[in-house]
Amino acid sequence: MIRQPNAILGNDHLLVTMGKKGEIFGYYYPGRDFAQHVDESQACIYDGKQLIWSNARDWTADQKYVENTNILSTELTHPAGITMKIWDFVHPELPVLVRKYRISSEKKLHGKFFYYSNLQVGETKGKNSAFCDHDSGLMAQYWKNYYIGITSKPLFQEWQIGKAMDTIWWTNSKYDMEDGELQRNHEDIGNLNCALGWELDIDTSRSAEIIVFIGAASRRPALYRRMRDIQSEPDEKMYNETQEKWIKWLSRKKLLELPDYPGFESFKKDIQKTFNRSLLTLNILNDPTKGSFVAAPEFDHDFEMSGGYGYCWHRDSAEIVTSLLEAGYPEYCSRFFKWCKSTQLKDGSWFQRYWLDGNTAPSWGNFSFSTQIDETGTTIFAMDRFYRTLEHPIKEEFLDDMWATVLCAAEYLMKRTEGGLHEECICLWESFTGIFTYTNAAIYAGLKGAANMAVDYNEKELADRWTERAELIKNTTIEKFWLEEGYFARGTSSGNIDTAVDASIIGTFVPFNMLSAENEKEREMIKSMIRNIENNLSVPVNDHYGIKRYADDNYIDGNPWIVTTLWISKALLELAYTIQDTEKGHEELRSLMHDAFKYIIWSLKGATGAGMLPEQVNKYTGRPAWAIPLCWSCALMLDNVLLLDRLQNKLAEKYS
Amino acid sequence: MVRDLYMFSRVDKEAEVVWFRITYENTVHSEADITSFFAGKGLDIRFAYLDSSEDPSRGKYVMFTEAEADRNIDIIADELDKMDVVLDIDWGYSENRIIQSVDFPLNILGERAVIIRAKAFVDILDLVNENVPQSEGLLTLIGLKNGAGAARYLKEITDVSQNNYLDLLKELLMAAGWGILEHEVNNTELKGIIRIKDSFIAGEYEDSDVPVCGYISGLLAGYISETLKRTVQVRETRCNSMGDDVCEHVVSPAPTSVKIEHLLRGESH
Repeated sequence: MIRQPNAILGNDHLLVTMGKKGEIFGYYYPGRDFAQHVDESQACIYDGKQLIWSNARDWTADQKYVENTNILSTELTHPAGITMKIWDFVHPELPVLVRKYRISSEKKLHGKFFYYSNLQVGETKGKNSAFCDHDSGLMAQYWKNYYIGITSKPLFQEWQIGKAMDTIWWTNSKYDMEDGELQRNHEDIGNLNCALGWELDIDTSRSAEIIVFIGAASRRPALYRRMRDIQSEPDEKMYNETQEKWIKWLSRKKLLELPDYPGFESFKKDIQKTFNRSLLTLNILNDPTKGSFVAAPEFDHDFEMSGGYGYCWHRDSAEIVTSLLEAGYPEYCSRFFKWCKSTQLKDGSWFQRYWLDGNTAPSWGNFSFSTQIDETGTTIFAMDRFYRTLEHPIKEEFLDDMWATVLCAAEYLMKRTEGGLHEECICLWESFTGIFTYTNAAIYAGLKGAANMAVDYNEKELADRWTERAELIKNTTIEKFWLEEGYFARGTSSGNIDTAVDASIIGTFVPFNMLSAENEKEREMIKSMIRNIENNLSVPVNDHYGIKRYADDNYIDGNPWIVTTLWISKALLELAYTIQDTEKGHEELRSLMHDAFKYIIWSLKGATGAGMLPEQVNKYTGRPAWAIPLCWSCALMLDNVLLLDRLQNKLAEKYS
Repeated sequence: MVRDLYMFSRVDKEAEVVWFRITYENTVHSEADITSFFAGKGLDIRFAYLDSSEDPSRGKYVMFTEAEADRNIDIIADELDKMDVVLDIDWGYSENRIIQSVDFPLNILGERAVIIRAKAFVDILDLVNENVPQSEGLLTLIGLKNGAGAARYLKEITDVSQNNYLDLLKELLMAAGWGILEHEVNNTELKGIIRIKDSFIAGEYEDSDVPVCGYISGLLAGYISETLKRTVQVRETRCNSMGDDVCEHVVSPAPTSVKIEHLLRGESH
């Protein structure tokens, strides 16, 4: 079932996705991509007559993060006068989700508090086994070497392990909860659900507090130990340490020196907030041992409407790690490029997408004609960007370590661009087969990056060859694809020019710098491209315009995307950064910044209530759409904010 | 309850099929007055229904007539509108003479309802059975939910007791076209048999080696459990799809005070 989260939580070992009302949508352990152990997990109140599920329509929800942390606060208010406040966070060290519930009522309420879960341990519905060891305060469910345990403070008083989908329906915990009593059975096997129960006796003067811990382990003794440890740890200490951990991690970020922006009153505060949220999001979507990122937490597990998102794409990750690098977190680059070294294919390219452990993921890019060559170009381009920031002796060590990878990748790009443009492959959107402006720009950038590293590796001949090819690609792309209407064609398809406007043509400028804003002629080309994209791909929603990917896009209704919109704002800010110091230049600067702000603000309006940046914004409702959160959107937001900061520093320097 | 209408007119192919929806003041002679009016105009009522159950002070009279192609219906409608008992009218032509809905949407048991061909419903069940693990359990749970919902609704609108609850269900299933129910259930022991003749599920299924009406078993379990506030299990033991004359569902109390693990190990209860 497709369910889009409103917020995510995690640490180095665990990733959790949640709905607006605190329902768990995904519980990933030990990887961010596998295994997802939860089908349903949420609280429920029995008021003496009926069950009031925490995700019921009647509740009003307000969900937000505790500032600068990955601690989530959800407040649910029910018309019956009941309030359920939930603080959710993942323990700073252990793979344990902590769910602290405070239930209060305007009227006397004598009933039960239930915590219900339908687990699918090891992503397997059947063949699970569950047991309740009440003496140890543990409800556990396992499949092979995946163990999920639930314990609580105070200890649950009743429990049930039920058959989730069986004809003996009265054993189903979800149904049996309806009479307010659980069966206290000890164990069962199959497709299971479970419930824990506590007496609830509250009124206006007395609320109830219950903490539910959901932990994971790969072995039974480890689960016992982990859950025992968590029971004995003071919850206040856990909370404080979690808060401290995130604030401390965030304190390493690049310090932003942003001014107030007249006419955009809350802009400064909003972008600082989204900058922090993007960083915190990327942190928990990264595999800390392998260095890879999921594009987004998986939500379309059965590929019902897409090919899924819980995998690592080089295109996305290369942009993410360079954004994190600029934001003050270079270690993501180190880990990711090490991962790239291990995942590179024999021919020097990279596969369409990978599991986070480096295995190739389900793919529609298994052949040389169906691969996406831009990913190889992007990877080498990003590697060089990181390389340029290194200092002696780390710089030399990095190059020594990576040279074979760079060489193979560059030669792969050479092999596939012998005619001056790349051979047929799949485009970055995975929509078309052909030859593409974007892909050529990515290859250009990859070869230039490789050439830079080759010079330092004393391989001048290779560097010259690669540079020469990069320039040939640039010239051929302009010659063949630049249209008199003032923009690049998408490319060719079956040998015919495809003149559809595609937002990815801006890739010739950002991120790949095939066109330079400092070259007058190319600057005009960039501006003309932006105008054409805006004229053809703007979608009015949320009081402004978002940019969709291309004309006639029919993927998920052809909504505007955050990435494409933030590409345009990034391009506008890059143009602003390179403005000449003339009177006319001041006017242009103001205009470019104004337009960029509008796009950034539009992107912020498309975020979830908790601040997650999605892949798309629903073109009718303005609400976040499809993959949530999307790492690539977060990376583009970081780029935009960092560019604003750079721009501010430049202006401050000039006028100081 | 508002009824939707399907009409198949074949009497006079040259005539127009005209429908009227008349809202009238509910007096003892209102329906007769309106019927007489149509007779006086020489308009033969081919199909009609009336309903004054939603609001006792006013009724709704829906009818289909056939009129000569050049007949001026506006004048007839004006005259009808001027009758003392008539509060409001609406009328139109049934263009295709095959299917005409006058009331929309359809409501059954207080909820929006739709009419679906038995075959379409069974196609859904078939696909579920083929593609969903533990489909029998799933269909039982769906039936359970539907049966409990039906019981709750009937309790709201009528007096339901141990003596009449299965008769009420019988009427309901027959009205819905699902099958003809016969029951021999001891409510004290909560044991017995419910037979369904001409079950729409079994009837539409190809020959089967196993009972196919798990959804109906679930529905019966939900209905009985919700009505009697006791937990029953219902299992289909004979099924029309297996060549039996009727589908037979055995009702028995769900095991109590027994842990699931004991039940599955076959321990006594």
